[in-house]
Amino acid sequence: MNKVLQLGMVFALLGACDVQSTLADKPRISVGSKAFTESVVLGELICHLARDQGAVADHRAELGGTQFLWQAMVTGDIDVYVDYTGTIREELLAEVIKSGVEIRSEADMREALAKMHVRMSDRLGFNNTYALGMRDATAEKLGIKMISDLRDHPELKFAFSDEFMERKDGWRPLAEKYKLPQKRVRTMDHNLAYRGLEHDAIQLTDLYTTDAEIEFYKLRTLEDDQGYFPTYYAVMLMRDDLEQRAPEIVKSILRLENLIQPASIVSMTAKVRLDRQMETNVAAGFLRDELKLDIPLKSTSVSSEWMRVLGRLAKTTYEHLFLVLISLSMAIVVAVPLGIISARNENIGNTVLGVVGVIQTLPSMALLVFMIPLFGLGALPAIAALFFYSLLPIVRNTYTGLTQIPQATRESALVIGLDRRARLRLVELPLALPSIVAGIKTAAVINVGTATIGALIGAGGYGSPILTGIRLSSISLILQGAIPAAVLAIVVQFGFGWIEKRFVSPGLRTQ
Amino acid sequence: MFALQGVSKSFGPIQVLKPTTVEFRAGESTVLIGPSGCGKSTLLRLLVGLVGADGGTIQFEGTTITKANIMQMRQRMGYVIQDGGLFPHLTARANVSLLASHLGWEKKRMDERVEELAELTRLPRLALDRYPVQMSGGQRQRVGIMRALMLDPSVLLLDEPMGALDPLVRFDLQEDLRKIFRTLRKTAIMVTHDMGEAAFFGDRVMMFGEGEIVQEGRLEDLIQHPSNEYVSRFINAQRLPGVQS
Repeated sequence: MNKVLQLGMVFALLGACDVQSTLADKPRISVGSKAFTESVVLGELICHLARDQGAVADHRAELGGTQFLWQAMVTGDIDVYVDYTGTIREELLAEVIKSGVEIRSEADMREALAKMHVRMSDRLGFNNTYALGMRDATAEKLGIKMISDLRDHPELKFAFSDEFMERKDGWRPLAEKYKLPQKRVRTMDHNLAYRGLEHDAIQLTDLYTTDAEIEFYKLRTLEDDQGYFPTYYAVMLMRDDLEQRAPEIVKSILRLENLIQPASIVSMTAKVRLDRQMETNVAAGFLRDELKLDIPLKSTSVSSEWMRVLGRLAKTTYEHLFLVLISLSMAIVVAVPLGIISARNENIGNTVLGVVGVIQTLPSMALLVFMIPLFGLGALPAIAALFFYSLLPIVRNTYTGLTQIPQATRESALVIGLDRRARLRLVELPLALPSIVAGIKTAAVINVGTATIGALIGAGGYGSPILTGIRLSSISLILQGAIPAAVLAIVVQFGFGWIEKRFVSPGLRTQ
Repeated sequence: MFALQGVSKSFGPIQVLKPTTVEFRAGESTVLIGPSGCGKSTLLRLLVGLVGADGGTIQFEGTTITKANIMQMRQRMGYVIQDGGLFPHLTARANVSLLASHLGWEKKRMDERVEELAELTRLPRLALDRYPVQMSGGQRQRVGIMRALMLDPSVLLLDEPMGALDPLVRFDLQEDLRKIFRTLRKTAIMVTHDMGEAAFFGDRVMMFGEGEIVQEGRLEDLIQHPSNEYVSRFINAQRLPGVQS
């Protein structure tokens, strides 16, 4: 079982980090990243630097959120990942701050994290926050460098994303603080705003400071000279035991401190998002330029596009089936007996149905967060979550199937002299079977859909091309996950039709 | 065969069977008759152990029935209910041989016994491999009787076996059932609310009213010498519509 799971996890590794060797004497390091391109590139940079010192580095790429990464680091599933000072303050230290500890500086932050056995590096060199951006040419012509400079140009037209217009730290308080006079301000979709800038329909929009589009559209981000925007400096978070386990690796990856200028991270994400280069090669190129490291590039054209699509389909199908079949089988083994016990004893029945009902209402993200401390990352927590979601339909249908057997039929089984076990085996379960099979079918179909969230915690499956597709705005990738998932759901429907024909008595079908 | 000593039964505040002492003798067919809710079905259900008595003892073939031995005893009783009470997921044949197969009978022995019973109950051979939904009401009832007879029980208990049948089918089945009784010389206890049926089957008739046996004896005795107003009213109520139509 454990071997199989490990195999599943190995298959689930995304991105381009390979497990090159499993020799025991090599130090191992597990690197995490969030599900956006900048984070994946940063994960690749750390992997390269660790391997440069002879380590075996796993990249657990595209994990679904800060909480997942933090939990995984606490449990030791990952050793290091990159987060942002703003996020650390707002999310990771929220409880600490609530308890009365003052976090004023990055040093305070470092101290609070150290108490949680997490080490925070120095800044990597860039700040990924909101910014205001203009075309470089326009800004140059008007002599605008800082946000304050906008005061002298009331004629400029602004367009902001919906979110930026509404946020507490968005447009209105910003205009107040900087005393900006512009009146022609409207809401516009981000992609349209870039086009608007290009055609001079608008002159300014909101950006993330590390957006790839900054380079592509030749934009200038205006300096926040009054320190309005909260800072989101990128820093590495790592388990404090990594230093003892592998001091030379820590030393190597700390070379990223103060190494990545804003322009560099923008250029790297642009190469991935706009030029469709592989994250691992972009990261290797950066390290070659900055640190003179010689990292072999991955070839992207060994196989045709079709072969790659098929290869991905085979891999994700394997992973997806693995998640669905294991979790569903376990759910059947547990839920059918629970349903039988519930049907026999009203009190137990009410309790059991209540509990599995509550489990069903838990949001999947929350359930996954609970599973990580127990099961780590990869297929195991995903299987556990899917298992819990599969319980209700099976327990309820087993219960209903058994309790709906007419009194007369039940008594007939009793009076012909069958004992309790024989009644269950020969009469009650066969009569409840159509309902039980329907419950398993419901669970299986839900399971096929829900298993796509496994990608958020590195379990692979059809969710991973969807997740990567969303990250890279690639419809083709999204469809490579969405279509097989839909097809699989249909196949499951038909499969259960066959099972019903095969196992349910014709006497129960012809009614 | 059955000996009841002070047997009583209540459901909540309602005493459906007052303490009753009565005996059912081997080889005799007894009909329990009376209006709905008079306790006659409850008595039958007490005999087969579907409900437990509040007080008193029930002996079957000389042994007191307990929770521990009822399962064994049931295998020597045949119980038939309205519409047969068949298992819908099994064919007629499988319904009849379910217990025998569970007890490990050989297939040949089972098949022979099923054939024999089909002949006795005049069930068409084709119906043997049908499921209950595919059979007529009369066929289902015949299969129910076959199932009750499969292990050659020493007593047959029938709870309104004709209740769900239309008059013509009912007439045929009554004839056949009486023939079966005669052929097998089985002890039979049948519950009905139909006077005609009682007259047709019963060596002995027990009239029930409000949880107790009001009068018992041969049907002619009940008709000619009703022990009280209740008995004569029940008898007349059943006969009058027949006269009028």
